[in-house]
Amino acid sequence: MAEEAAATIEDYDFSGTTAGASDVFPSEAGQIKKGGYIMIKGRPCKVVNVSTSKTGKHGHAKANFTAVDIFNGKKVEDVVPTTHTTYVPNVNRSEYQLLDIEDGFVSLLQEDGGTRDDLKLPDYPEGFDQEILKAYQDGKSLSLSVLSACGIDQIIAYKEEA
Amino acid sequence: MAPDVAALRKCLLDVSQPIQKRTHAAFVLRTDGESEAVSAIGEALRNKQDSALLRHELAYVLGQIGDRKACPNLIAVLSDENDDSMVRHEAAEALGAIGEVEAVPVLETFVRDSVPEVADTCRLSLDLIRWRHQRGEDASLAQEKGQIGLDKSPYMSVDPAPADRVDVSTAELEARLLDTSLPLFARYRAMFSLRNRNTTEAVAALAQGLKDPSPLFRHEVAYVFGQMQNPASVPALRAVLEDGTEHRMVRHEAAEALGAVGGADCEGVLARFVRDEEVVVRESCEVALGIAEYWGESVAREVVESSAS
Repeated sequence: MAEEAAATIEDYDFSGTTAGASDVFPSEAGQIKKGGYIMIKGRPCKVVNVSTSKTGKHGHAKANFTAVDIFNGKKVEDVVPTTHTTYVPNVNRSEYQLLDIEDGFVSLLQEDGGTRDDLKLPDYPEGFDQEILKAYQDGKSLSLSVLSACGIDQIIAYKEEA
Repeated sequence: MAPDVAALRKCLLDVSQPIQKRTHAAFVLRTDGESEAVSAIGEALRNKQDSALLRHELAYVLGQIGDRKACPNLIAVLSDENDDSMVRHEAAEALGAIGEVEAVPVLETFVRDSVPEVADTCRLSLDLIRWRHQRGEDASLAQEKGQIGLDKSPYMSVDPAPADRVDVSTAELEARLLDTSLPLFARYRAMFSLRNRNTTEAVAALAQGLKDPSPLFRHEVAYVFGQMQNPASVPALRAVLEDGTEHRMVRHEAAEALGAVGGADCEGVLARFVRDEEVVVRESCEVALGIAEYWGESVAREVVESSAS
């Protein structure tokens, strides 16, 4: 199960994103492809399908996006003219060693040796928090993956340290 | 997701249906583009009792699909000197867009047509076919990908002329556009380059083209404004639509361009002309208002979302 949770994130491309960059950047809707990210109704989403329709004499087209919210997995759809500006979230993924779990909050070891204590166990997917907690209580040494976008940080995977 | 071609065909052929709906059916068939769609559109095109506006749109759609099976129907329309000149013009343009050599003799015949817009369009199509042959089979595809040094088109349309080279300055393009001593094909190339650049200077240059002596040329300018959707073109388009003495083909394109730009101002102007004396103009306003509404939904939502974020 742990492997599975991690595997769904493996195809995410995190290159080209830097800490301190703005939450979103503009892009022509027609440039956003399957597998890319898009903001829909203010939420960062990953595009799972995109189809283009030609509807008028001037050759304008609309892009029909089917996407999933990267933090809660909800399926969302949007239709945008391909020449219009839409927004792409900056998405980052970081790995931390888990030090402790207390009252649903995790304590993580940062690269600089300091600790990070502001993250809660995730609400999504259902039962995932209990799964991490159990693995921790079983005495396993864990590393957590944290996905960051639009000011949200969420634990999205864990794996047992070798 | 695949469109029901049989139902669309039925709608297209039913002249009692509203023009907005039938025009939309034609464009859905264009997107489909399979041979059944081509034959349905060809069948509707041949009904001379039907609206000239719809029929000219059908000829245009056949050119855009680019299926050579449409050629016999288009050739028949172009060859009928009693048919509507707008429909014949569009048939001639479509034959150029398809680019089959079988159309060359008929285009050469009607290059001497008594109606200037038909004759000029035949000349343009012959020049386009010749240009493509000189460049080789892949010329239009390469242009689409921006590989042969021409101004790259962001629009999904097969144009009556290729764009000019990217290294030609906008001022030079403007000079070529307005030089009536040049062949129409060369002036169109400048026009499509200016369209692809879509800057304020390009819009200003093109707007001057609306004063050209040739109605065909003026209608093409109005058409590219519809593609560009640049609000800077609205005053010029509005003046064209409001000028009751202007050629119906030009007023028609201006109306549809205003619909493509959209927004309350454009829709307000269009609403004033939905009862114009000229059938083609009033039907264009009706269709344009439908388009403005169709695109408006997503634009309105985009504005709401961007101001909320």
